[in-house]
Amino acid sequence: MGFRPMLSSLMRNKTGPILVALQIAVTLAIVINSLFIVIQRVEKINRDSGIDVNNVIVTYVRGFGDDFDVASSITNDIDLIRSIPGVVTAAVSNQVPLSGSGSGNGLRIVPDETVEAVSTARYRWGVEGLDALGVELSRGRNFFAEEVNFVFPASDPPAPASILITQALADDLFGDEDALGKTVYWGSMEPSTIVGIIGVMHGSWVGWDKLGNSVIQPGTQADTTNKYIIRVEPGMRDKLMPIIEQELGESNRRRVVKSVKSLEELAARSYRRDRGMAIILSVVITLLVGLTALVIVGLSSFHVTQRTKQIGTRRALGAKRIDIIRQFMLENWLITTAGAVLGVVLTVAVAYWMETSFGLERLDWRFLPAGIAILWVLSSLAVFEPARRAASVPPAVATRSV
Amino acid sequence: MFNYNVKLALKSMRRNPIMTALMVAAIAVGIGISITTLTVYYMMNGNPIPEKSDVLFAVTMDSWNPLRPFDQDNPERAPHQVTYHDAERLIAIAAGKRQAAMFESSLIIEPVNQDDLPFEAGARVTTGDFFSMFNVPFIYGSGWDRSADAGAEPVVVLSKQLNERLFGGEDSVGKRLIMQNTQFQVIGVIDTWEPTPRFYDPINGAFQEINEMFIPYSLTRSLELISAGSDWGWKSEEITSFEQWLNSESAWIQYMVELESPRDRDAYLAHIDAYVSEQKRLGRFERPLNNYVYDVMEWMEYHEVVANDSKVLVGLSFLFLMVCLLSTIALLLTKFVGKQGETSLRRALGASRKIIFKQQIVEVAVIGFSGGLVGLLLAGLGLQGIQYLYDSPDGLVTLDWVMMLTAIGIAITSSMIAGLYPAWRVCKIPPAAQLKTQ
Repeated sequence: MGFRPMLSSLMRNKTGPILVALQIAVTLAIVINSLFIVIQRVEKINRDSGIDVNNVIVTYVRGFGDDFDVASSITNDIDLIRSIPGVVTAAVSNQVPLSGSGSGNGLRIVPDETVEAVSTARYRWGVEGLDALGVELSRGRNFFAEEVNFVFPASDPPAPASILITQALADDLFGDEDALGKTVYWGSMEPSTIVGIIGVMHGSWVGWDKLGNSVIQPGTQADTTNKYIIRVEPGMRDKLMPIIEQELGESNRRRVVKSVKSLEELAARSYRRDRGMAIILSVVITLLVGLTALVIVGLSSFHVTQRTKQIGTRRALGAKRIDIIRQFMLENWLITTAGAVLGVVLTVAVAYWMETSFGLERLDWRFLPAGIAILWVLSSLAVFEPARRAASVPPAVATRSV
Repeated sequence: MFNYNVKLALKSMRRNPIMTALMVAAIAVGIGISITTLTVYYMMNGNPIPEKSDVLFAVTMDSWNPLRPFDQDNPERAPHQVTYHDAERLIAIAAGKRQAAMFESSLIIEPVNQDDLPFEAGARVTTGDFFSMFNVPFIYGSGWDRSADAGAEPVVVLSKQLNERLFGGEDSVGKRLIMQNTQFQVIGVIDTWEPTPRFYDPINGAFQEINEMFIPYSLTRSLELISAGSDWGWKSEEITSFEQWLNSESAWIQYMVELESPRDRDAYLAHIDAYVSEQKRLGRFERPLNNYVYDVMEWMEYHEVVANDSKVLVGLSFLFLMVCLLSTIALLLTKFVGKQGETSLRRALGASRKIIFKQQIVEVAVIGFSGGLVGLLLAGLGLQGIQYLYDSPDGLVTLDWVMMLTAIGIAITSSMIAGLYPAWRVCKIPPAAQLKTQ
């Protein structure tokens, strides 16, 4: 059977098919653009942070009172935490990766203020810092114990002789050159030597495009609020969190344990906007696809009922069941394809609007064929049941008068 | 007649329950999604202090690095915070009607009884003008006056929640708290106050809960209060004492001013320019004169308080609503085709086209209204979901009556527009034409 009877039946009642095609076009524009955003956000959330996020606990403590000795408090706390069974190690850090708060600096490869500095997050921790985060050095060495000293607020220590940096920062600073052993300069133009390079380690601000840039200074930060990073054996985290909170709380009443949180929770909090957007858009896509499918089912069922007589006549004239099914499927395919063609134009227009007005990333063109394929499958599935029902109209119907 | 039309509409809806359910569902889902996203947008885009937003201004002064601008992406901008000593001097000059210098901090509230546990509470360190400038409501007591600012008196204003936690919600004015080894006297407790967005500090978060307590800015020096908010520095300075920190070029103080009238804006800016020019003679402010004041809504825009994601969602959800309407039109058309017999009969019995048209429109409006109601329920669920996803403070995003009316309005109007063409088609059916073949 050819296109002719089908086309003529479509043309006889133009408005309905046009509406469905329009609906499919707009559906395509929303689905493709939303899906693109969802996939981007999911990829962003699942980036490798280089950190053993699932097995790290972060504790914030703060001492008070005149006689509070922050250095001995930190030393006692870290010893206490390390003695708890199940704890791999614990370290003091001036900031917590993925937490959304911390401090940064600019570094230069020449001591010249007119040269633009490379921005980076700045960490300060001791020998155990790397191990506490589960971060790995790809080259060079870790800090030596003698390089690590207490750093008090407003003590303004000189720049350290040795620092660690991440590979991302090394690339930003030195390009293709090997950064190991090279010298970099701080804002004060004091130099430091790169003694080790970390493969991957995310910094504090997940929305920053230089999230991979981190520099680590040796030292034990003694602030008003101190941050302990604790790595535990796999599976022990949730059991150990209340134990750590309780033992720290009991050991010193001049110090408030502000919070004991898993790094996983802190990271999830930092990514919550991205996760929220991904979830909302997934809901939108599901509802939209469901609605469009239901509408196609509803409309084609109705058409089958309307055209019972026509179908009966065709059957009586020798059309097989498969011909009838094919007729409805083809008819639907034609409408879907017309809608998809219009939809591609609309999709690109919406993508352009989002890119130029809101700085979203440019749509990957591969999403277009993928979206069209999804719609084809979906609309075929939606029309199949009504088409099957149409095919079961007996030829004898043609001879009855309605 | 209207009642009769509604009755007919309900009857017709019942005759084709699946079609009707589909139409109501289409409108409901469309309304549910667009009202959800619109409510979030409306909340973010709202004016947090409409009665005063044109006389409150955030002050920025370009004290940044002579070699490069504060914000590389917007090089014309001055730093969004000011240095401590500049803020101190602006307070002393008092060129506006009222002024608030402020920053976020946190203090440990030490236990009064041996059994109580110490805990940390967030504080906004600010000048006494803060409360009158921003129309902060009080349950007990009041804020502090300028003499308390001048004398650096250890007084504290508590939020309702903190007063609940510390004193069980009773009138705590006159009670004492120990923080930073200092006895603070409670002088006021504020009532629930939730300006949304939190216009006085979009830098540290426009949708956070308000601070738990407020203490005088002039205590910063004596108690060595440190900022829990953001600070921005460009100059490499030796800082080995708190005094040096206060005198550094680090910008960590937010500064807002209230003027008598919006017309005083230029005159105030001239004051700021004069101050900066004077500082230039002392060797500071090496960049060209580049100072701005922003009224509340300009300040919100500056900080892009309305997230781009929210705008994208509004756009996409209205496209979604369009799909829902297209569905409705298609469904209505098909449905009306099935009603040809009945319509012909009514026409033959003397119903005019006008009456048929009206009846169709009423039917569509009933569907739209039902869809709108279900859509509102969906929007309520959607907002709960968003509250959960974004972990926002309770009650930040709620459906108010404006949004409810908007929802019903959009539902009815759009479904009526959707119904126009099908209704027009139906009333063109000639009387009795359909009856012949039956």
